[in-house]
Amino acid sequence: MRSLISFRPALAALTLITLLISWTNAEYFGMEILAEIAVLALLAMSLDLLAGYTGLVSLGHAALFGCGAYSFAVFTAIWGWPASLSMAAATLLTGLVSLVVGAVVTRVQGIFFIMITLAIGEMGYELVFKTRALGGDDGLAGIPRLDLSAIGVDLNDPGIFALTLILLVAVVYLLLLRLLGSPYGAVLTGLHDNAGRMRALGLPVQLYQTSIFAFSGALAGFAGTLSAQHTMFIAPQLLHWTTSGEVLVIAILGGLGTLVGPIIGAALITLLRHELSDLTDYWGLWLGLFLILVVMGGKNGVVGWLEAGWRFVARRGAQSKSTARRSNDAAG
Amino acid sequence: MLRAERIFKSFGALQVTKDVSLEVPTGRRHAIIGPNGAGKTTLFNLLAGELLPDEGRILIGEQDVTRFAPDRRARRGLSRSFQKNNLFLSGTVRDNLVLADIVAQGYGFHFWRRLSDNRSAQEKTAAIAEQIGLAELLDHGVSELSYGAQRQLEVGLALMAAPKVLLLDEPTSGMSPEETGRMLQLIDDLPRDLAVLLIEHDMDLVFSHADRITVLNYGEILMEGTPQEVRGSDIVQETYLGGKTAQEQC
Repeated sequence: MRSLISFRPALAALTLITLLISWTNAEYFGMEILAEIAVLALLAMSLDLLAGYTGLVSLGHAALFGCGAYSFAVFTAIWGWPASLSMAAATLLTGLVSLVVGAVVTRVQGIFFIMITLAIGEMGYELVFKTRALGGDDGLAGIPRLDLSAIGVDLNDPGIFALTLILLVAVVYLLLLRLLGSPYGAVLTGLHDNAGRMRALGLPVQLYQTSIFAFSGALAGFAGTLSAQHTMFIAPQLLHWTTSGEVLVIAILGGLGTLVGPIIGAALITLLRHELSDLTDYWGLWLGLFLILVVMGGKNGVVGWLEAGWRFVARRGAQSKSTARRSNDAAG
Repeated sequence: MLRAERIFKSFGALQVTKDVSLEVPTGRRHAIIGPNGAGKTTLFNLLAGELLPDEGRILIGEQDVTRFAPDRRARRGLSRSFQKNNLFLSGTVRDNLVLADIVAQGYGFHFWRRLSDNRSAQEKTAAIAEQIGLAELLDHGVSELSYGAQRQLEVGLALMAAPKVLLLDEPTSGMSPEETGRMLQLIDDLPRDLAVLLIEHDMDLVFSHADRITVLNYGEILMEGTPQEVRGSDIVQETYLGGKTAQEQC
């Protein structure tokens, strides 16, 4: 058990190092892919808090992601606010929206929760799609990036931007790791395991579910502000339920409730999409096949497979050690 | 400590609880018995707040909790165990007990403090584990525990809150004789500042470990009295014990 607890942070460190090594080798297009991976990793981690740890599977998460992106775009490109203030305001606004949405959707459980989050997400998509002031189906352009020239960092350089996002993923991972090791984190897993018993023990279940919905939403909104800065152009597709589905696929592929899984999932999906689409027109087919292979066998995504492999190796190691000791004893 | 006044509940045309009143003062060991379908579990769910009564009042101490949700009643000092094990299966015994402590002490919103640093939770967990006989198994996964040990943990979770009223729903159901003996000892050793209400099938347990018994039949109270009174009652003999004497049943 102990070796597994430290296995995941080690895996996260390895993932970060891999991302950094690919960053040192990346050209312009590679930087774009790395930035895309980082944004998706942040979004998928926020969904993992909700779906993986608390057991609330949402299909409306993209709407919150889009809420962050669109409010950032409005604050900067239309209202002319500075990007730093806009990032904070857009994250906060998305958190507030999520708080209200969370208070409503946590009244129902299971399949109904999935349906109601899907419905609310689609309402958000429709709203943006039909609103001319938000660009409608044309989207919004001319979104600036955060200006960090005061400390000598030029985020308009694709390399610097990608590196900043990768480091941000590492920071958010560490913060969330700390959160999940707290009493609050224990309550989240308890809710996933057995919400009914949590209620019987005296926990105001809906209050806690709403709180994590709001926090997870704010983090998704934060990822949205980064996505808007990355592409500098946003379209309603960002809020569509298929985007929510894709993020869910990323988290499941990597391993739900593992925190590092969503990062690995984001990297794998993004790379496979780009690499496979170069090789074949049927890339979606191969991606589907890959997903089925990973999810079959009852393992918890890629992280689940790696952990099973690690356990196997550890057991083999322990066995060979004890065999060696036995033969030593025999010799002695 | 716990008082139910003239409780009525029906599901559609089916009257499952009819005019039931109960009073369980602090220190009392009160048992509810009755044949299957007598409405014992329904009454329990009404007391715990899983169901709302159609009529009547439920009080914890002086507080009317009739309209309180289960979690709010729990925070007023009412704790319950379940007939079917209702645990956190992905964790260890320690994880389960610590989780109950977090909820009972209300520090679930501490999101920055490390859980492993909480000394008082660890001490309380160790004490309760000792009390329920699971001290040796603290770091074992709950899903690996024997059925009997899971039953013990079921009671342990209810005890973590240091409740004023403890509802035990068939604590010995499905247990081996040896495990039943351990559970009885555990119930006997419960602190006397606690009001205990239990549903029980096991006649032996009811007559020797409760000091007051309510007999339910078709949702109604057939009689209430001391174990001696219930044992000697003709009407109870006929409806519940099927004409046989209680002695034979034991």
